[in-house]
Amino acid sequence: MAQIFPRYANTLARAVLLGAAVLLVGGLGLLIAMPYTSHATRQDIVIEQPIQFSHEHHVGGLGVACRYCHTSVEQSRFAGIPPTHTCMTCHSQIWTNAAILAPVRRSLAENAPIHWQRVHVLPDYVFFDHSVHVTNGVGCSTCHGAIDTMPQVRQVAPLTMGWCLDCHRNPAPNLRPASEIYDMDWKPPADQAERGPALLAHYGIKPEHLTDCSRCHR
Amino acid sequence: MTDAPSLTRRQAALGLLASAVSLSACGKPAEEIVPYVEQPERIVPGVPLRFATSLALNGYGRGVIVSSIEGRPTKVEGNAGHPASLGSTDAFAEAAVLSLYDPDRSRAVREGTRIASWDGFLTALRPRLRRFEATGGEGLRLLTGHVTSPTLLRLMGQVQARYPAMRWHGYEPIGDSNARAGAVLAFGRPLASLAQLDRAVVVLALDADPLGPGPDQIRHARGFAAHRTARWENKAALSRFYAAEPVLTATGAKADHRLAATPTLVRDLAIALASRLGSGRPAPVLPPEAQRFLDAAAADLQSRPGEALVLVGEWQPPEVHALAHWINARLGAPVEHIEPVGPAEPPAPLDALIEALAAKQVDTLVVLGANPAYDASAGFAQALGGSGAFSVHFGPYHDETAALCRWHLPESHPLEDWGDLRATDGTASLAQPLILPLYNTRSAPWLLGALLGTDEATAHAAVRDTWAAQRPPETFEAWWRQVLHDGVVADSAAPRVTPPPSALPDLAPPVAPAELTLVLRPDPSVWDGCFANNAWLQECPKPLTRQVWGNAAMLSPEDARRRKLSNGDVVRLALGGRQIDAPVLVRPGTAPGVVALTLGYGRRRAGAIGDGLGADAYALRSPDAPWIMAGLTMEGTGGRTNLLFEQPDRRLEGEARALFPTVRADELARGESRPPVWPPSLNPDRVSDTHAWAMVIDTSLCIGCNACVIACQSENNVPVVGPDEVARGREMHWLRIDTYDLGPPEDPRPGFQPVPCMHCEHAPCEPVCPVEASIHDAEGLNVQVYNRCIGTRFCQANCPYKVRRFNWFGYADGQEYANQGAPVLAAQRNPEVTVRARGVMEKCTYCTQRISAARRSAEREGREIGAREVVTACQSACPSQAITFGDLKHPDSPITALRREPQHYALLGHLGTRPRTTYLAAVRNPNPAAEEGGS
Repeated sequence: MAQIFPRYANTLARAVLLGAAVLLVGGLGLLIAMPYTSHATRQDIVIEQPIQFSHEHHVGGLGVACRYCHTSVEQSRFAGIPPTHTCMTCHSQIWTNAAILAPVRRSLAENAPIHWQRVHVLPDYVFFDHSVHVTNGVGCSTCHGAIDTMPQVRQVAPLTMGWCLDCHRNPAPNLRPASEIYDMDWKPPADQAERGPALLAHYGIKPEHLTDCSRCHR
Repeated sequence: MTDAPSLTRRQAALGLLASAVSLSACGKPAEEIVPYVEQPERIVPGVPLRFATSLALNGYGRGVIVSSIEGRPTKVEGNAGHPASLGSTDAFAEAAVLSLYDPDRSRAVREGTRIASWDGFLTALRPRLRRFEATGGEGLRLLTGHVTSPTLLRLMGQVQARYPAMRWHGYEPIGDSNARAGAVLAFGRPLASLAQLDRAVVVLALDADPLGPGPDQIRHARGFAAHRTARWENKAALSRFYAAEPVLTATGAKADHRLAATPTLVRDLAIALASRLGSGRPAPVLPPEAQRFLDAAAADLQSRPGEALVLVGEWQPPEVHALAHWINARLGAPVEHIEPVGPAEPPAPLDALIEALAAKQVDTLVVLGANPAYDASAGFAQALGGSGAFSVHFGPYHDETAALCRWHLPESHPLEDWGDLRATDGTASLAQPLILPLYNTRSAPWLLGALLGTDEATAHAAVRDTWAAQRPPETFEAWWRQVLHDGVVADSAAPRVTPPPSALPDLAPPVAPAELTLVLRPDPSVWDGCFANNAWLQECPKPLTRQVWGNAAMLSPEDARRRKLSNGDVVRLALGGRQIDAPVLVRPGTAPGVVALTLGYGRRRAGAIGDGLGADAYALRSPDAPWIMAGLTMEGTGGRTNLLFEQPDRRLEGEARALFPTVRADELARGESRPPVWPPSLNPDRVSDTHAWAMVIDTSLCIGCNACVIACQSENNVPVVGPDEVARGREMHWLRIDTYDLGPPEDPRPGFQPVPCMHCEHAPCEPVCPVEASIHDAEGLNVQVYNRCIGTRFCQANCPYKVRRFNWFGYADGQEYANQGAPVLAAQRNPEVTVRARGVMEKCTYCTQRISAARRSAEREGREIGAREVVTACQSACPSQAITFGDLKHPDSPITALRREPQHYALLGHLGTRPRTTYLAAVRNPNPAAEEGGS
């Protein structure tokens, strides 16, 4: 009886088996890695906004302070997006005819709000509060990065639960004095190892309970 | 050729599907941030604003503080400065915010069945008004409910002045005509009496229910609590309550001695008591049990002059009210009298309007805040239908009356427009809008303005004008701002009047006892039917019976046995040629020979929630005896319906005493103060270095009113499941009020026990969760992490308190009951609390969002959380302040002392769960003399 399978069938069978294994492991690996990719976390993705507002120009160039626009950051969980009127405090005087500002003028004229696209999205079961962070030594740039260098705001941190917990387990390396919260260039000083615990005590932070589920989920 | 385009469409569809799948699978959905164009002053996005306003029940105002989150009213709480709220609420006030967003609210002006416009209505009205100006308003009739609003009364006075021949009729299905008539008999004029329970030590309630639902419930509950707060350190005497009533009420449940008495016997008791106090009238012969009850009560009342009080319910005839006035005068009872709150001269009755309609004397009828086609006798609907009158209905729903009227005008919700109200003691309060009207609706001052010939009258201007007329203009603005802030007009309570010496009424000869007497009562869930379309209230278990989504004819077990009836049997109730079918509910504590039914059900045009539920008791009501009707016949129809309860009725074989212990006042005085003792445990003790939250519920004070249940529902986004799911034993209330009958069926002695999550230190739900979704936090909260929960329900099975609730369906998340998924209802949700999805377990969190808010505010300001800073929703609602919440670690927290009380106990404490929610046993203060007599 003639051979049914040619010689290369063995090789083929091995290759298929190996391929299946690689596919399985690779597929699982992909599934596991997927949530950490920027596709899932939206890290470093620039989202198109209705107005090409540049933080680089306004903050880095002109030195407009964070709280000039994000007024509620110290009182509320929501930092606040400025109403159209805040834009018009300056832009009713300068660049009054700039094409790029047409949507702002239209918003004011038609009394229709500007629909910004949210960049930092947390799941609905996470309750994050800006005010407790900025009043307890966590600066803007710790989570938002160097906003003053971004022509278009993008999310620099992954905003995953693991990333939150890194700091909630050990906040000391990221704490700053109250005077430096809005400093965009803040880098941990060389003696942060000593300063951190002092700041923990100063703000009255008890890190051992910062990882309770009920801190962020309710 | 025809295939090609369809193939393209299919490809496009597949492409869309593929991109949708890939987008939804991995990426987060795009979200928008929409800031203001011009941010209003004082608004901080994310921080709620709170405004004082007023809500009405039966026309009487109750002050409330409403939270508004980014312009959306979400939660009602009490206003401590208002005498009818005292910082607490009742179930109706808590549920008002759901009615605001009710998808069934009327949104458009209608002429007949057609949608019309406000201008169209004005065009139709104007020629009539011109004619009325010539005739002085002959043929113009106004029908309202009970009106206490100074602004509406002022405007109606102006309308009356403009059209002198106009007649104003008033109709309130749950009025106070018996009490008024009783005052006329006793004092010669219709004075309103305000019982002061906080100054009464011995109280006899003759068919009266001061602790039951009503405009004065909160004030009475607080007064009741004043002398029932038994504390080890406070050795002041407790008050003693006696109640004689045909059907079990909250007052009867809390009474130390209760007699199930037919209405006739209640009347006889009043006559006998008056006779004992020297009325000189012959005392009727009482049955031995009633005689013993009266002997004990009379001796007790007489021993505490100045602190003894006799109360009579509105349901009793005027002569019994007059007797009570005479008795109270003899006892020097703590009752204050005021001139009736409302119009100086009472409006004409509804009967006169029905007669006029039938005689075709009515040209134009304006119905304002009344629904007589449903809640008055059938005569109204017939008379209106045949009268050919130009009828205008003004109300929030296109209800039964609206359907009969030629025009229907949609009314704004009380949270949408300006107004003012007076409380039962006459205190005036302002109502201010929390939100612009959601739909094209207007409020009553606009309509009265239209009758006065001004088309653009606003409620705001009308209310300001009313109050500005009484103040000097230079100080008015400051005064107005202060009143808006406080919610109450200071010192506006009606002046107390000293009544003339009360006369003894002439007593009608006793009527021959009937075999069956029908007793009607307001419903604790839907009141007179006006709350019928509120799903929270419909699903709120009624006190004592625990029934939801309907009413039933309540019978004593004795009558039920004799007639071979059981729960759910449908009977035909017939009275004076009128008849209805209603299911039977056997309720121990009902007097034999009495059939009790609550009003407010059988609505035909309430909306998607309220239509067709229960039996319409109004159909049996006769105008001359609205509450108690003898001569009822009842026969089984052979039909059965499934009555819905949230707490199944079952016998506990002696366990009830362990689950709901009671203590006698004298035993309590001998008790000792000690911290709670727990059984030994192999589980490691939790060492806490931070806050330790705990709750103590005083069952002596709980009156079972359900304010906490609705407050919890409104605060925590608890969904409604609907009658079908309740029938399957599924419910979502995080807080339930268990009711235990501790006595025999003839004297059930019920006790109320609110049961939230116990937050056990050794929680049985935690070790069984495979994903650690049920887990403890450092502050002692047993937290449920929704995003971890995979829905095994092991925790629910292992919870001995049965406080865990499972989302079998997306009750709040796409599979809502009836119209509860309407987008507008999303505006009511509390943004601080997750809306739970299908397949997730949930339960009481001790209002963890409120703890978190206090913690964050303390951390922001660099301070510690105050001893009374965290107030849970149930605690804030409780009219008798039965619920205390606090931090066991805080030196000033009231909770530690409560846990040392002698009557302190843990529910199922022997299981070793070490609950953080614990109870104070109900303290009873029976009269030793009556007990020896066997009562």
